[in-house]
Amino acid sequence: MDLKKHIGIGFRKDFSEELLESDILKPAFIELAPENWIGMGGYWKKQLAKAAEKFPITCHGLSLSIGSPDELDYEFINKIKKFMKEYNVKIYSEHLSYAKCDNAHLYDLLPIPFREDAVKHIAKRIKEVQDILEMPLAIENVSYYTPVAAEMDEATFISSIVNESGCNLLLDVNNVYVNSFNHKYNARDFINNLPLDKVSYIHMAGHEQISDTVIIDTHGQAVIDPVYDLFEYTTHLLKPVPVLLERDFNIPELEELQTEITRMENIVAKTWNKKPAIA
Amino acid sequence: MLKESTHIQQSKLAEYCRNGIMPKDLLGVTAENLHHYRRLVFNIALDTLETAYPITHSFLDKEVWDKLNLEYFSEHKCQTPQVWRMPLEFYDHCVKKDIQSQLNLPFLNDLLFFEWLELDVHTMDDIAYPAYTEKGDWMNDIIAINPEHRLVKFSYPVHLFAPTEMTDKTAGDYFLLIYREKESGNVQFMDVSILYAYIFEQINNGVLLKDVLVEANTLFQINDITLLKEHALNFIKDLKQRNFVLGFLKN
Repeated sequence: MDLKKHIGIGFRKDFSEELLESDILKPAFIELAPENWIGMGGYWKKQLAKAAEKFPITCHGLSLSIGSPDELDYEFINKIKKFMKEYNVKIYSEHLSYAKCDNAHLYDLLPIPFREDAVKHIAKRIKEVQDILEMPLAIENVSYYTPVAAEMDEATFISSIVNESGCNLLLDVNNVYVNSFNHKYNARDFINNLPLDKVSYIHMAGHEQISDTVIIDTHGQAVIDPVYDLFEYTTHLLKPVPVLLERDFNIPELEELQTEITRMENIVAKTWNKKPAIA
Repeated sequence: MLKESTHIQQSKLAEYCRNGIMPKDLLGVTAENLHHYRRLVFNIALDTLETAYPITHSFLDKEVWDKLNLEYFSEHKCQTPQVWRMPLEFYDHCVKKDIQSQLNLPFLNDLLFFEWLELDVHTMDDIAYPAYTEKGDWMNDIIAINPEHRLVKFSYPVHLFAPTEMTDKTAGDYFLLIYREKESGNVQFMDVSILYAYIFEQINNGVLLKDVLVEANTLFQINDITLLKEHALNFIKDLKQRNFVLGFLKN
């Protein structure tokens, strides 16, 4: 199945049973973090097998740590490769961040210094990962709450890595919104400055504003109207790609998630079905 | 290719996330937002450990639990890329640091391991079942067993009683059989005596029950093979009823 123009949802254990046993939520595909499933047997392996029968699966990793100073974990990458083969996964994405440093995993996404040496370092690693996996990697623009030792702007950093490595870009529209608020820049200008012809996938999500100046990218709330507006704006600039709704916490009734999916479907129907890609 | 100066900046942020000590010379940061990283990273670790060890978490004073976690995350370098496997490293850390002696809780290692085992058996990778048949002779055929199990020994009955009931008097040798039901994936627990633990371990190694009983009769100084056989068969048949003993290995 071609997932372009279709809307998927992040597969979470919290609602896996209801998703698999009912037709309330009707995603075109599901996305999961391979780290949460590799080597897992028993009940959850059975659930995953059921999910794989019902939906196409895409993978969105958490621990590759592509921006880490540490060496890549080749054993882990090969496990991901095997997992994706087993579940016929054709799309793999990861975060443009680091989650491991000095031989310690942190299990969250830390901001990489926007620097030229980091661009070269990461581009080389992306190529290596792509060679091992024998498939393209899509890297996601992450949300961040402070820059660290930056020597260039974020859009330049992302673009340089994409151009130098030849990888794809997972454009997380909510992250752009969050970052534009936290770092006081124009979200549309930021998107305009990305290599939009390399966007192969979109993420949408909710967030939480915790103060006048800070939004935290929680994936625990419904997507807000300004993010839908930014999404609609973005779709006009891109060729059709798969779109994913992420919801990790405060899981609502599945009807509410379906309402969000339907709203995204209506937006992509309006833009991508009317005219060919312009990017 | 990565400059040392860039590496240092990354290390400083990562170190701060692990130990909470505000770093010096972290360049160009929005200082008032830096704490979000420490909070978010540490909360993931804490949530993971509290989910894995709910009994220990609710038993220990909050101060003690928090201190234990703070020390663990700052001193230990987590090795697994899969966060759900990380609690095993916490257990190993506590054993290595002999936390149970520090806290004067001599059953702590057992308690943590018991909690980890439940998670481990529930999630462990599937193991292929042996080919077996329902027809056979308990004494003279090799007994087929659900391979998705663990047999463990504890020094305290952490699987039977609440931590508040652990005293010097309860110390002893305890054996627990933990297995995963094939269809449901549910984890089941069975407290077994040292004799049954021995019998189980032997038949699990493929020794014929008739030979196991001869050995056990001597080893445990029972001196009544008929009585031993009756009890052993009841034990095996109980395991069969639970679908834990499958039947007999096919030749």
